[in-house]
Amino acid sequence: MKINISSDHFLIKKSEFNDLFKIMKICFFLLFVFVFQMMATNIEAQDAVINLESNTVNVRMLISEIEKQTDYLVVYSNREVNTSREVTLKKKSDKVSEYLHQTFNGTDIGYEFENNYIVLSRKAQETASILTGLTQTAQQLGKTVKGSVTDSNGEPIIGATIVLKGDATRGTVTDIDGNYSIPNIKDNDVLQITYVGMKAQEVNTSGRSTINVIMEADIELLDEVVVVGYGTMKKSDLTGAIATIDGDKLAQRNATQLSTALQGAIPGLMVTRSNSEPGATANIKIRGITTIGDSDPLVIVDGVPGDINMIHSKDIESITVLKDAASASIYGSRAAAGVIVISTKRAKSNVLSLNYDFNYGMEIPTSQPKNVGIQRYLEMANELRYNDNPNGGEYQEYTQEQVNNWVDMNLTDPDTYPITDWRELLIRNYAPRQSHTLSLSGGNNFVKTRASLNYDDIDGLLTVNNINYKRYIATVNNDFTFNKYLNASFDFNVKRTESYEPSQTNIWYMIRAYSPAYAWKWSHGGLADVKGGNNPYGRVKEGGSNQGWFTKLGGRLAINFTPIEGLKFSAVASPNYSISKTKIFNLQAGYTGSDNPSNVIGYFQDHTSTSLSERRYDNNDLTTQFLLTYDKKLKRHGLNFLAGNENYSYFYENLSASRDLYELKEFPYLSIGPRTLIDNGGNAHEIAYRSFFGRFAYSYANKYLFQANYRYDGSSRFHRDFRWGGFPSISLGWVLSEENFIKNINFENLSFLKLRASYGTLGNERIGNYPYQALIDFTHSLFYDNPSSTDATYHNGAAQIQYAIKDLSWETTKSYDIGLDAVFFNNKMSITADYYRKETNDMLLDLKIPGYVGFANPQQNTGKMFTKGFDFEATWRDEIGDFRYSISANLSDFVSEMGDLGGTQFIGNKVKFEGSEFNEWYGYLSDGLFLSQEDIDNSATLNSNVTVGDVKFLDISGPDGEPDGLISSEYDRVLLGGSLPRFMFGGTITGGYKDFDISMAFQGVGKQNVRITSGMATAMPGNWGHIPAILDNDYWSSFNTEEENAKARYPRLTYVNGSSNLYMSDFWMFNGRYFRMKNLTVGYTLPVTLTQKVNISRLRFYISGNDLFCLSKYPTGWDPERGDSSYPITSSLLFGININF
Amino acid sequence: MKKYVVFILLTIFSLYSCNELDLSPLDQGSSENWYSSETQFEMAINDFYRLAFWYYTPTPHDHQQWSDDYTCRNNRTVFTSGTFNSETGFVKTFWNNQYKSIGRAIKVIENLERGRENGISDTKLKQYEAEARFTLASRYAYLTFAFGDIPLVKGQIDIDEAYSMSRTPKEEVIDYIYENFDFAIENLPKEYSKKMRATKGAALALKARYALYFGDYGIAAEAAEDCMELGIYSLNPDYAELFVTKNAEESIFLLPRSLENNIYETVRNAIPRTGNGGWTAVNPSWALLASYECTDGLPVDESPLFNPRNPFENRDPRCTATIVEFGTTLLGVEFDPHPDKKQVMDYNSGKMVKNNDTRANATYASFNGLNWRKGIDETWGPSTSYQMSNDFVSIRYADVLLIYAEAKTELNQIDESVISAINQVRARAYGVNENDKQQYPAIEIMSQSDLRKKIRNERRVEFAYEGLRYNDLIRWRIAGETLSRPQPGLLHPASLLREEVVNPGLWFWAYTPQIDENGIADFSELLNNNKAQVLSQGDWDDRQYLWPIPDEEIIINDNMVQNPGY
Repeated sequence: MKINISSDHFLIKKSEFNDLFKIMKICFFLLFVFVFQMMATNIEAQDAVINLESNTVNVRMLISEIEKQTDYLVVYSNREVNTSREVTLKKKSDKVSEYLHQTFNGTDIGYEFENNYIVLSRKAQETASILTGLTQTAQQLGKTVKGSVTDSNGEPIIGATIVLKGDATRGTVTDIDGNYSIPNIKDNDVLQITYVGMKAQEVNTSGRSTINVIMEADIELLDEVVVVGYGTMKKSDLTGAIATIDGDKLAQRNATQLSTALQGAIPGLMVTRSNSEPGATANIKIRGITTIGDSDPLVIVDGVPGDINMIHSKDIESITVLKDAASASIYGSRAAAGVIVISTKRAKSNVLSLNYDFNYGMEIPTSQPKNVGIQRYLEMANELRYNDNPNGGEYQEYTQEQVNNWVDMNLTDPDTYPITDWRELLIRNYAPRQSHTLSLSGGNNFVKTRASLNYDDIDGLLTVNNINYKRYIATVNNDFTFNKYLNASFDFNVKRTESYEPSQTNIWYMIRAYSPAYAWKWSHGGLADVKGGNNPYGRVKEGGSNQGWFTKLGGRLAINFTPIEGLKFSAVASPNYSISKTKIFNLQAGYTGSDNPSNVIGYFQDHTSTSLSERRYDNNDLTTQFLLTYDKKLKRHGLNFLAGNENYSYFYENLSASRDLYELKEFPYLSIGPRTLIDNGGNAHEIAYRSFFGRFAYSYANKYLFQANYRYDGSSRFHRDFRWGGFPSISLGWVLSEENFIKNINFENLSFLKLRASYGTLGNERIGNYPYQALIDFTHSLFYDNPSSTDATYHNGAAQIQYAIKDLSWETTKSYDIGLDAVFFNNKMSITADYYRKETNDMLLDLKIPGYVGFANPQQNTGKMFTKGFDFEATWRDEIGDFRYSISANLSDFVSEMGDLGGTQFIGNKVKFEGSEFNEWYGYLSDGLFLSQEDIDNSATLNSNVTVGDVKFLDISGPDGEPDGLISSEYDRVLLGGSLPRFMFGGTITGGYKDFDISMAFQGVGKQNVRITSGMATAMPGNWGHIPAILDNDYWSSFNTEEENAKARYPRLTYVNGSSNLYMSDFWMFNGRYFRMKNLTVGYTLPVTLTQKVNISRLRFYISGNDLFCLSKYPTGWDPERGDSSYPITSSLLFGININF
Repeated sequence: MKKYVVFILLTIFSLYSCNELDLSPLDQGSSENWYSSETQFEMAINDFYRLAFWYYTPTPHDHQQWSDDYTCRNNRTVFTSGTFNSETGFVKTFWNNQYKSIGRAIKVIENLERGRENGISDTKLKQYEAEARFTLASRYAYLTFAFGDIPLVKGQIDIDEAYSMSRTPKEEVIDYIYENFDFAIENLPKEYSKKMRATKGAALALKARYALYFGDYGIAAEAAEDCMELGIYSLNPDYAELFVTKNAEESIFLLPRSLENNIYETVRNAIPRTGNGGWTAVNPSWALLASYECTDGLPVDESPLFNPRNPFENRDPRCTATIVEFGTTLLGVEFDPHPDKKQVMDYNSGKMVKNNDTRANATYASFNGLNWRKGIDETWGPSTSYQMSNDFVSIRYADVLLIYAEAKTELNQIDESVISAINQVRARAYGVNENDKQQYPAIEIMSQSDLRKKIRNERRVEFAYEGLRYNDLIRWRIAGETLSRPQPGLLHPASLLREEVVNPGLWFWAYTPQIDENGIADFSELLNNNKAQVLSQGDWDDRQYLWPIPDEEIIINDNMVQNPGY
C-alpha cells in the first residue's frame, strides 16, 4: 500500500531550520496541502490515468500499479478476490475506473471509490463489509438493518463489531465510514455493538431498519492509561500521587493561556494570577512551596521539558500532575516542585477528520476600584492639607469658594475647574477577542498525522493606543509504523505571538490614583499638562508603543525499536528554538497651554524625547534521551523496567540597542537616530544537565504493587566536585478490593479500593547560572582624559560582585505521601485522597550577610523547610435516561514552615525565618486608632509626628527584651499569620440532555490572610492623587463626632504620616477568601440527521462565560486576584461554533 | 526502508556525546583569574570612581533637599517630618554601596602581591594601592560621619567573622581614615597627564574636610594648608561661570557626567515651567535668599541697603548667581512669579507667552516664588530630556580655603592667612582681586565668635546647592534650630496674595526677615501678619544627628546595636 501523506512531510527535512519565516510558510503549506489532498483526491483520482507495461496483467499487479501511480489504496479481502486471475486490458494507458471496469465486469466483484480507497467486494453485499472476519450465515428471511457507528464527537468508528445477541456468528464490522449493514434481522433481535475503549451497547431492532449508534468512551476508570514519567501506566497500577485531567475539559474553559485554564482544575495545584491583560499567564505551584528559590514545577511536553504556555489547550490530550516524590523522582533534578506532564493530541484512527472551532466574545472588567466624587475630593484634600499643616488653615489646597462652587464653575470654565474621570476616559467597557482552531487528522496503518492551527486575537481595554495580543500556534504530530519492530514519531510546532501595548507602563496606576481636578484637554482642544506633564491620556495615547514578537519552534523525533515483545528501545531528540524581539518606541509628546492650542509648552513625563530601544534575544535547548523499557506479564507477576539517559543543554543570548533624542517620530529604526545617547549591550549564559535514571515496578496478582525509581543528576551550576546528586524513591500499593477478606464482606457498593504509600527525594538547583564562581561584573566609569579636556571618556570597570561558596550542591526535598483511591457504586463515584509531608534540606539560600562584607548575598546550602498538606478529590457521574451528568470537586491545603535557615532571615512585610511560615506576614500589632491626645502621651509612638487619628502600634519589646517606649521595626514587629491561600477548592459540574450540554467550573480559596494595601487606602497618593471611595465616611476626622471616630475603619487623612500608618500591621488585615465562578458553558449540537445532509458530522454551538462572578470580602471595587496597579481581572463572554467534517 | 532506519539510528547515536557540564560565565569574568594584569587592575580601580559610591543617595538632589536651603512645595523630607528610621530606603542603599566599594578596595590591596608575581611594576602597584586607600578613607569617612560607630573592615572577612563583628568606636575608625588618607597623600601623583583620577590634592582636601567634620581642627588646618601649598589649584575668576564649566581648574576632585555615555541626572524639578516645561518643584528657600549679605558686607536685617520690596538689590553677587532674580531670563524665558505678571517674554520664540511661573496662572508654580539658577546651563531642558551632565564636584578649592579658615578659627589661631583665605573666596564672588578691598566687602581680623559666624554664613552662600549645607548643619548641631521651623511661602490663592501683599505695595517681602546668631532667618513677622503662609511645618528629631543602622543589619547580627532614639 502506498503511504499517501508522508511525501509532504519530507519537506521539513529539506528546509533549513534557521529561517523562521520559511518554517512558518512550510507549516501553513503543510496544513493546506493536507486539506487540499483530502478534498482533491476524491474528485480527481477516479479519472487518474495510469500506465501499464503490458496489456496482460494479473489482478494483484493491477492493484499494485494503481497504488503506485495514484493516491488510492485498494482494499479487498483475499478470500473474495482472486488476485492471481489474469486479465487482458484494452490499452496500456487508461483511466483507473476504466481498468477496473474491464477487470471486474462480469465477475461477482464490485468496486467502489471511497475517499482515498478503492473497495473491492462481492456484489451480493449491498454495502462494503471490508474485513469479514465473521462469517455470514445463510440467507434467511428478515429485514436488513443499516446504520452508522460514531463516537460522541461524531467521528465514525471503523471496525466496531456488531453481532446479533445470542448468535455471535452473525455479525459484521463497520467500514471506514462507520457504516454497517446486517441482513435477515427479525423483529426483536438485539444487536450488540462493541469497540475497544468504548462502552458496549445493545439495541433492540424492533420496528427499525436504520439504527445509528453513538458509542461513548468507556469511563471504566481503572483501565484508564495515564501518562507517567517516561511512559504510561494503568491507573490501577499506580502507587504514587498523580492527578490527571482530560484535555477536552481544559479546552472547554476557553482560556487563552493553558496556565490560567488550570485554575481550580486539579487538587494540589495552586494557580495564581494578578491581572487579565491580553496574553497574561498564571503562576503554578504544586503542593505548596518547598524552597525559597524557584518553586515552579517542571513541565514535560510529550516526554521532553517544555513550556506550559507554548501549548494550546485545544491541542491537549491529557495533563498529568506528578505530585509526590515517588512519581516525580524519575525526573529527579528538576522535579522538587512537582512535574506537569502534558500529552498533546495525536491522530488515533485512520479516519480523516477536520474540526473547526471558532469563538468570538468580549472581556469585561469584573470590578474596579472607585474614587470619591469631586465635591468630596476637594473637601478631603483640604482636610488632608490641614491635618499635615494646621498652621496653614482649612483651605490650603482649594479655596472655600472653589470647594462650594466647583461643579457650577466647571460648566462655565472647565479649564480652570476641571472634573476628569480617568477611568471613563481611558478604559472601555469591554474588549473583543476571537479564537480559531482548525485541526485535521487522519492516516493509515503506516502513517498517522494530526495537524492543528490555532489563532487568538485579543484586544485590551484601553480607549486609545490599545493593547493587542495575537498568537498563532501550529503543531503537526506524525506517527510512522515501519514494521512490527520499528516505529517513529516526528512532531513539530511553531508558536508566534505578537503583542502591542503603549510604551507608557504606569497606566493602571495613573487611572486609579490621579487627581480628578485636572483637565486632560483644554476647551480649545489641545492636550493639557496635568500637573506639569502627568496627563495619563496624553501619555498613553501619544507616548508611543512597546511591541514584541516572540517566535518559538520546537520539534521532537523519536524512534522506537521493539526487537521482542515487551522490550523497547527509544531514542529521542528534541530541540527548541526561541527568537524574540521587542521594540519600544517611546515618543516625545507635548502639552499645550490653556491659552494656545498650537503651542507646545512642555512635554509629558517619560515622553520628553523620542527614543527607540530594541532588544533581541534567542535561546535554544536540546534534550536527548535514550530509553530502554521492558514490560512483562508472567501469570500473576507483572514486571516493568526502565533505564534511561538524558542530556539537556540550554543557551541564552541577548542583544540590546537604543538611541535617544530622535527628531522624527515616523521611523522606529536605530539608524535614523542621532549619534548622541547611543547605548547597547549584550549578554549570554548557558546551562547543562546530564542524567541517568531507572525504574523498577513489580506487581503481584494486581494486588500488591511495588515501584522503585532512581535518578542520578549532574548540573553545570555546581563545581565538578559537588555536581552529582542521586534521588531515589520507593512506593507501595495494596489493592484491598482484590483481597478475599474484602470481597467476602460482599460490600457491593465498593468497586475498588487501594492504599498507597511513597517516599522519595527530589533535587533543586535553580539559583542563578554560575553560583559557585566569584563573578566579576563589568561596570563603567567616566574620566577626563587630560587636564584640559571637557569631554569625559568612558572606561570599563570591573568588580567582584558575588561571594563565592565553592562546595555548593543540590538542595533536596524528602517527600512522604499516603493516599487512597476508592471507587464506589459500580464506578459512579470515585475518591482520591492524599496526605503528604515534605522536608527540604540543604536549601539553597540567598544567605543574608551583613552589608559590610561588601558582596551580594551568596548562595549557600543552608536551611530547612517543612511543608505538609492534603489533596482530596471526589467525582460522581451517572446518567438517568437521556440525562447524563457528572460532578467533581477538589480541595487541597498546605502549610509551609521555615526550619533552621542557618541564621538567615528574610525580613520585610512578608518574612521567612526559623519558625515562621513561608512568606508569613510580619508587622506591628495595632490597637486601632489613637483617639485622644492623652492616649498618645501615654503610648509609644513610631515618630514624633504621630497625632490623633493615626494608627496605634503596640510597643512589644526593645533592645533589652522589654518594651522600650519606642516603636521600632527591629523590636516591635511580630508574626501576623501566613499570607498564602489556604483550603483551595475547585470543581466542575457537567450535564447533558439529548443534544444539549452544560458545564460549569468554580474555584476559590477558603481562607487567606490578606491586607488592605496602600494602593487601596492611600488618600492622595504622591501628594496630589485621588482619594479612594472606600475611605469616605469611614476615616477618622476632626469633623466627626467621637462616636463616629471610634467606629472609623481608616486613619486620618495625611500624607506626611500616610506611609507610616500603612506600615504592615494587623490593623489592615482581613480574610481574603473567595468563591469564583470560573466557567459556564452551554452547548447545543444539531441533530446528526440534519447535519449529515451537508456532510457535516457534527455541528455544535455554545456560549461560554469565564470568571462570571466572584464572592469575597474585599473592599468594594477590588477583585481578590487583582494587583494594586495592574490591568483589571476580566470576565469573558464567548459565543462559539464547532464543526466536524 | 530498513537501511534508512539504520541510517537514522546511526545519525542519532553519532549526535550523542556527553554534553559539557564545566561551564564558565560567558559575559562575566571570575575573580579566580582576575587581578593578574595591569588592565585588570586598572579596571578594578576604575570602578572606585562611580557616582553611586560618591553620592549620599541614589539621586544627589535628595541630599541637598535635606538642608534649610531647599523647599519642595508643601512637602517635607524624612528629616523634617521626623519619620526617618532604620527602614528608610536610602539608608540601606547608602550603607551597602559604601561597604561594597570598601570590599572592592580591599580586594585590590589584597591582590597586589599577585600583581607583583605577574610582573607589574612596584610604581604601578603603589599607585593602585594609593587609589584603593583613598577610596577606603573616603568611604569610611562618609560612613562614620553618618552613623558614628561602624563595623571597621580592614581586610577580606569570611561570613562567620562577619556575623561576629560589632561596631568599632568612631575614634578608631577615624584613625584608620587618616592612616589611609596619609598613604594616599604620600603616593598619589599631584597631577595626571592622561586619565584623571584621584590626586595628592584630592586626598589632602578630603582629609581636611573630614578632619574638620570630625572636629580635628589641627589635622584639618594642616591638610588644607598642604593642599593650598601644592600651588596647583586656583579659584575660577567667575563664580556663576564655574558651575557650568566642565573640568574646571577649581575642582580638586570630581566625577564627570556625560549624556553621550548615559551618566546624567534628571533635573526637571529645577527648571521653570514657562517655555521649557519644567516643574519648579524644588526651590531655594526664603531662608537662603535672606542669608546673602548686602554689598556692604552686612546681613539684611542690619544693612541699610536691603530692600524687602526688591530682595535682589544690593546683594552679594552670589545671590543672583544662585537664585533667579525676578524679571531676568533663564533658559531664554523671563522668570517672574508676580501674580499680576500674566505674560512673560519667551526669547526662544520671540513672543509673549502665558506666565506659568506664577501661581496665579499655574497651581504648581514655585510655591515660594523662587527658582534656582546656579549650575543651570543652556543644555538643561527638553532638548536633553531634562537631563544634565554637569560635573559632580566632590570638593573644590574654595572649600579648602574655607576649611582652612574655619579650622584655624576654631583653633583660635586667627591670623592674616585666615583672613586672606576667606577674602579670596569673597573677592572672587565680586569678580575682583583679593587685594582690591574697595571693590568688595573684605573682612578684617575679628573675634573668634564673630569670625565663626562669618565663616558659617560664607559657607552657606558659597556652597548653596552643592550638598554641603546638610553636613554643616549636622556638625554644627544646628539642624534642630533651623529644620524644625515653618517653611514660609507666598500666600495662595492669587486673590489673597494680591489683597494682602501686592495691592498694599508690599511685594515681595512685606518685612525684612531677622537673622539670628546662627545666621538663620526668622520670618515670623511675615507669617504672623498673614503676609506669607506656612508651606510646611518642620519637625526635627535630635536622634537624627546620627543615622539609624539599617534594620536588617541589626536583625541578622546580635552584636549590632542601634543608634539611640530609633
